[in-house]
Amino acid sequence: MEFDPFLYIQALFDGLLAGIMYSLVALGFVLIFKASGVFNFAQGTMVLMAALTFVSLLEMGWNILLAGAVTIAALVLLALAIERVVLRPLVNQAPIILFMATIGLNFVIEGGTQMVWGSDPHSLELGDPYASFEIGPLFFNNNELYAAVVAALLVAGLAIFFQKTRIGRALRAVADDHQAALSVGIPLQTIWVVVWTVAGIVAFVAGVVWGGRLGVQFSLALLALKALPVLILGGFTSIPGAIVGGLIVGASEKIAELLAFDLFGVGGVENFFPYLLAMVFLMFRPEGLFGDKIIERV
Amino acid sequence: MNNPPLRRVRRAGRVREANKSELPARQAGLDQMMDRSATASDGALDTLPKRLREQARTRGDGVFLREKDLGIWQPFTWAQAEKEARTLALGLAAHGFQRGDKVAIIGDNRPHLYFGVGAVQALGGVPVPMYQDSIADEMQYILDHAEVRFAIVEDQEQVDKILQIREQLPQIEMIIYHDPRGMRHYREPGLEWYEDVQTRGERFEADNPDYYTDEIAKGQGADLAIMLYTSGTTGKPKGVMLSYDNLIRTSLNGMAHDRLTDREEVLAYLPMAWVGDHLFSYAQAMCAGFTVNCPESGATVLADLREIGPTYFFAPPRIWENILTSVMVRIEDAAKIKQRLFHYFMKVAERVGVRLLDGEPVSFSDRMLYRLGEIFVYGPLKDNLGFSRIRVAYTAGEAIGPEIFSFYRALGVNIKQIYGMTEATALVCGQSDGQVDAESVGVPMPEVEVRIGDSGEVQFRGPGTFMGYFKNPEATAETKSNDGWISSGDAGYFDEGGQLRIIDRAKDVGKLNDGTMFAPKYIENKLKFSPFVLEAVAHGDGRDHVSVFINIDLDAVGNWAEKRGLAYTSYTDLAARPEVYDLIGGEIEQVNAAMAGDPKMAGAQVRRFLILHKELDPDDNELTRTRKVRRRFVADKYKELIDALYDGSSEVKIEAKVTFEDGREGTIKATLAIRDLEPVAALAKAS
Amino acid sequence: MADEAGKHIGEVLLSASNISLSFGAVHALTDVSADIREHEILAIIGPNGAGKTSLLNCINGVYHPQKGTITFEGEPRADLAPSEIARQGIARTFQNVALFKGMTTLDNIMTGRNTRLGGNFLKQALYWGSYQRDELEHRVLVEKIIDFLEIQAIRKVPVGRLPYGMQKRVELGRALAAEPRLLLLDEPMAGMNVEEKEDMSRFVLDVNDEFGTTIALIEHDMGVVMDISDRVIVLDYGRKIADGTPDEVRANQAVIDAYLGVSH
Repeated sequence: MEFDPFLYIQALFDGLLAGIMYSLVALGFVLIFKASGVFNFAQGTMVLMAALTFVSLLEMGWNILLAGAVTIAALVLLALAIERVVLRPLVNQAPIILFMATIGLNFVIEGGTQMVWGSDPHSLELGDPYASFEIGPLFFNNNELYAAVVAALLVAGLAIFFQKTRIGRALRAVADDHQAALSVGIPLQTIWVVVWTVAGIVAFVAGVVWGGRLGVQFSLALLALKALPVLILGGFTSIPGAIVGGLIVGASEKIAELLAFDLFGVGGVENFFPYLLAMVFLMFRPEGLFGDKIIERV
Repeated sequence: MNNPPLRRVRRAGRVREANKSELPARQAGLDQMMDRSATASDGALDTLPKRLREQARTRGDGVFLREKDLGIWQPFTWAQAEKEARTLALGLAAHGFQRGDKVAIIGDNRPHLYFGVGAVQALGGVPVPMYQDSIADEMQYILDHAEVRFAIVEDQEQVDKILQIREQLPQIEMIIYHDPRGMRHYREPGLEWYEDVQTRGERFEADNPDYYTDEIAKGQGADLAIMLYTSGTTGKPKGVMLSYDNLIRTSLNGMAHDRLTDREEVLAYLPMAWVGDHLFSYAQAMCAGFTVNCPESGATVLADLREIGPTYFFAPPRIWENILTSVMVRIEDAAKIKQRLFHYFMKVAERVGVRLLDGEPVSFSDRMLYRLGEIFVYGPLKDNLGFSRIRVAYTAGEAIGPEIFSFYRALGVNIKQIYGMTEATALVCGQSDGQVDAESVGVPMPEVEVRIGDSGEVQFRGPGTFMGYFKNPEATAETKSNDGWISSGDAGYFDEGGQLRIIDRAKDVGKLNDGTMFAPKYIENKLKFSPFVLEAVAHGDGRDHVSVFINIDLDAVGNWAEKRGLAYTSYTDLAARPEVYDLIGGEIEQVNAAMAGDPKMAGAQVRRFLILHKELDPDDNELTRTRKVRRRFVADKYKELIDALYDGSSEVKIEAKVTFEDGREGTIKATLAIRDLEPVAALAKAS
Repeated sequence: MADEAGKHIGEVLLSASNISLSFGAVHALTDVSADIREHEILAIIGPNGAGKTSLLNCINGVYHPQKGTITFEGEPRADLAPSEIARQGIARTFQNVALFKGMTTLDNIMTGRNTRLGGNFLKQALYWGSYQRDELEHRVLVEKIIDFLEIQAIRKVPVGRLPYGMQKRVELGRALAAEPRLLLLDEPMAGMNVEEKEDMSRFVLDVNDEFGTTIALIEHDMGVVMDISDRVIVLDYGRKIADGTPDEVRANQAVIDAYLGVSH
């Protein structure tokens, strides 16, 4: 097969657009990990729950804004419940205990969602899914571009929120040392509710964006798996890391796919390539590109 | 000492002509500046207070000083500075200040202390800036000797120091402190807050509106402007008296030599008691109208340097070296790719950078490579160090390592050597652009004459020649001849290019028993170019061979030890390690090898050494405040060690007193090893 | 040199009456009563395990005593959470420095301002303009603290990288940022060399002097305790065995016994 450079450029752009969406999912993890040191196993299910709630409300004929507002309200309720039922009783427990708790949480959310909305796949159509435009030989899908813009805005907003605002500072403080945070008057409970709510909203955006692409179905929860290599690349504690990690994963898997096909005539590389990349990273830079460097002082 | 026979005299005119032919365009502006100096001597602007007022009038909104306070650079315009100085001066006047009164200025480089200098000078008084880290004893001598009536100090720490010795200093009437912190409960008489003095001054001004102007008008160029106590390597400090003529003409000549303008930015971080600070950060600012920046604290200087990015910068070799070391440490920690990039482009810079800076021809490809390096390495690095805007940088006081010197020049930092001393108002010689090397200290500054005396001593005469030592005519006569020639006490010579080279202190140059010339500082400097050697003291005059004391550099050797998994608890412990002796022995052997190549020096190779158990310290009188070794004192104090170096023993026990920072004393006991070294055959080259 | 007569020790600021705290069978505190008076420096001393930190923990709400009451500013206090107590004006430092290691010195001290924020978090997020003005004012105060503690050079350094003595200083700074009425210091000089201890003592005295802050501190170095405190209380096996000026306490037989390990 003849080598076509435009194909690669197209793949690069496709990959970057997809990458931003990976970043979205990874962001939810980073937020919660930063603020509570917990790896939230239930993040993927939260994406599903948010998307399913939203799409079901739409299908019941609700106005889109109202549906969005109610979904967000549901997420706030979820965050409150999680803080009250899961986090508060487990305060000062080892991270592994909290991690186990999120596994349980995962099943509770999954089960609850199915109970309320059923387990049928839904399709989510926001605008014409085929609308697109071309620049030279490159081809862009409108919806994907919108999704990328929304994701980029969200990411920028979060970065400012974390680095520049007082709540952001309080969030970082809580992540660093619970006891010290309490002593300077940072109310832990409030912070946790805020963090889980924000993570829920990020999950909601991710759910809508991905739901528009893949349909709203249970495989959405598996997106969490795609977020893993992104986190390993970018570092578990870095918002910019989640973004850059997502872009790298998105772009490299598409290019790798194309390259493997051109060179060896094999396909399906994009399904495992990100994990391969993550493995290499774990060997050489376990803290990720932007993660806090693990410094052991003697 | 009067009129010693001349060997060689260089006159300044030649240099100025050379500049003229090189840069006709800039010369025009320069001539104007020289014209101003002419009017200065005519009487219009012949004192610094007159110049301060003139600057406030002509560029009132321009920034004179900046100070980093509460994390923000706060500017003081010329107009504000003039007002601050005026109200303070009038407050002093209200307290009965008389012309000729001496005022101690003690503290870090703070705008309000500079205003204090201005206030005192305006009233015809004499500021006596003092080293802020002096201990009370040293302070007492100077306060007493200078007959200080008033003291303007930074904060409680300095107030406490003076109060501690006040009983012995009956002539001190007032202590004015600027920072009121911790001062609330002080009830001692004669203590007054800076701003209260100024308030008093404002009231005084209302009653005597012309007082300030009249006092300034009384000042003349020949008046005593400032007294700077030199710590001197021997004996008690001497008060060097400088006049306004000294300061202003030297300032203008320095400005002409390096084409300084009112757009320069300077960082004032070296002690106010040091002549260079008064010249570069005060007098020259008054003459040129440029901006002086005061760092936030002693510990933040490097960060402040980065933020300010001075265009005109002075640092002693020690600081240039520290900065280079910090760069190297960071590079070693950087990623492999960055390291490779750095080393590659530094090689390019070494080949190309210096020649570009000196305006020599460079091939097109090298030029492009250097540009690329500027983007990837030199630019970011200079930016990070705060050197990206430097037009002129000076180093002086000690010899600088050639590789340190060329590192900065390769980066495009125009670092040059100058030579001078307090008695010359800081400037005797300076390197001109395009004629810079690590060995020499340049050509005489404009209007300065330099000659080499019979004994090989450097002598000079010029507009900066000091008035004399305060209350010490004998010492003045020893240093200054009737016709104005100053004996520098440095041994030196002019090289083929007409540049002055300094070898050593003239009185320190001696002979080994076999007649070989022994220049201790020459040897010590070569040793100190090693990153592991902080300080070295060479012995050999009247002995059979040369041996040295070494102070290791705790950071560098500590780092080296860490990499080898060598655990240590303290300086004393690390210094005694055989591995460290091996390391230092290797460094000395390299110096020996270099000396073997020079027939004059080959016989003076180091044969024995020991590593001292403690760092030489100004608080123990072993170093001057400017960190020069007090050779005689050290030789006396460590006599048993020197004896051991020459009696063949392989170790020596020592018990020594040390002074802690708070003034308490303690003792250290240690056993020091002594190592022998084989000299490198001097004829290696010939064979 | 300083004129100590200028110091005015005022009314009782905080009073613990008959508090007892136990963990299962372990009695950390038994029937302890103590007053802390306004503007004073109170030292709490005692052998290891005497209950000193427990007492501090009761005061700032980490523990709630099973018996007894704590009265702050004349009001008996319900069992409040530490963050609520912090908002009432009680700040503290910890025995093992509890800073936010990944954050800079500046950010750490800024978090100390949390108790001084009006309204709630979300409200601040909405009013951007006033928030920024507010933030600037807080920053000025924090910069004054940085200046006061002479830590300008480490303003932007993540505290995890600082030496221990410096971390203690930053922690003091963070506590000061809350402009507390009562400052609790748990072994502020532990693990320091002589020089660092002198610096820290100076800062403690200066804080007390300049801001009039009431200070209660736990300290093992008797030299420091005797030098800087106005009053000392001594705990042993969870009971208070002495309470008085440094000189009185030094002469107290029960105290001498406790320190020499005479059995009860």
